[in-house]
Amino acid sequence: MRVAVFGATGVIGRALLPLLDQHEVVAVSRGPRDGESRIRWVEADVASGEGVADALEGADVAYYLVHSLGARDFERQDREAAGNLSREAAAAGVGQIVYLGGLGGDDPGASAHLRSRRETGEQLATDGVPVTTLRAAMVVGKGSVAFETILGLVKRLPVMITPSWVSTPTQPVALEDIARYLAGVAGNEAAIGEGFDVGGPEVMTYRQMIERIAVLLGRKPRIVEVPVLTPALSALWLELVTPVNASVARPLVEGLRSPTVAREERLRKLLPFELTSFEDAVRRALEG
Amino acid sequence: MTRVAGLHGWEANERVLESGGFESRQRVLVPETVVEPSEAGARWLGVTYWQAVDGFTRGGVRATWGEAGGRLRLLGGATLLRFGPPQLGYGDGVVSCRYAIEGGLLALRAGGSVTLAQRVEEPEHELSVTVEEYLPRLAARAGTPWWTGALYAKGQSPFHAAVSRRYFELLVQGCAR
Repeated sequence: MRVAVFGATGVIGRALLPLLDQHEVVAVSRGPRDGESRIRWVEADVASGEGVADALEGADVAYYLVHSLGARDFERQDREAAGNLSREAAAAGVGQIVYLGGLGGDDPGASAHLRSRRETGEQLATDGVPVTTLRAAMVVGKGSVAFETILGLVKRLPVMITPSWVSTPTQPVALEDIARYLAGVAGNEAAIGEGFDVGGPEVMTYRQMIERIAVLLGRKPRIVEVPVLTPALSALWLELVTPVNASVARPLVEGLRSPTVAREERLRKLLPFELTSFEDAVRRALEG
Repeated sequence: MTRVAGLHGWEANERVLESGGFESRQRVLVPETVVEPSEAGARWLGVTYWQAVDGFTRGGVRATWGEAGGRLRLLGGATLLRFGPPQLGYGDGVVSCRYAIEGGLLALRAGGSVTLAQRVEEPEHELSVTVEEYLPRLAARAGTPWWTGALYAKGQSPFHAAVSRRYFELLVQGCAR
């Protein structure tokens, strides 16, 4: 199969590419790239649509691993970019779009970011190409913005004043595992046109996550939960103490209010393998 | 009666057991299952229930979780109820998530449980919230005037039923995605 990967230079894309070695891979980036000879790098920009048709020429499957988080109007940008991909994929006769979305987008109180992840999936399907959507919570891996935010907090703060979202349940998944699932659904008849929840092996609160990362780092931060702390204040605070910029942190913080827990296990049954434990995923992220 | 399409058959009842504990049950019927029979499906029943509590109180009462279980806290402070970890069940047409009540301001003492369940009730499916053997601190005791339990009868009990109704709506809305 010929597989085009949009967002190939991102955290997920980089983890996915080595798992697609049985396919002819077209890795798509916005700038020129050199890479392994088995991967053909092409330049295209889904935001403008430029180069997208060429990148999709002859492709059977298109991975959509792109987002505009951090942009002021990320919802509109994501919608337009997904629309461009949808249109060009239909024109190129692509048989399947694979999209990594987020859990929690159906929560009535979902943040703009979580809603946008859901809408992007819907937009990708508008021109009739079957979309396989994997909905995941936080991806635990080096470079994952949400994970790096939590890591930054644990590394820098002996005392954390946190809003009540630290009690929200989530089901973080290892970068290696999400990449494996993404690779496994390409061309998989049972997955085409389907949406799946993807979770790691354990459900935990953000507070528990912080505490467990702290143990691995040999730290013991004190967490003080306060009932009122606005997302704007939290985001500014995160910008101060972590490497993450406020424009990225704010939509993430707002999203932390919604539970991000898998409510079904169909993908685990379709592609069974032993999931990476949270501790092992963190260790790998720290080593990587 | 309800705002969500496909959700009907609302029933709510409450009684005092011989043990002195309270039993209350709310249920609705839905045409399709809202969760699958799996660990994830059972857990989702619980996750959605706490979402309903949070949403109904506009964040005033929130569930917080740790290794040993959870707590319902008022404005992030006082613990209204303390629960054990979720006990998940699925099989024989029933998916359930049960929390043992371990104490808190609204419990006279530890005991009882909250069970959230989906079970086949041909040709439909029943969603239910069942509180069993709960000893509410605000309820009237045997031999005391009725009004000593007014806070429970007029406050906590209808509140619980209203949360259950919201919970059923959330489950069905989430299923419609």
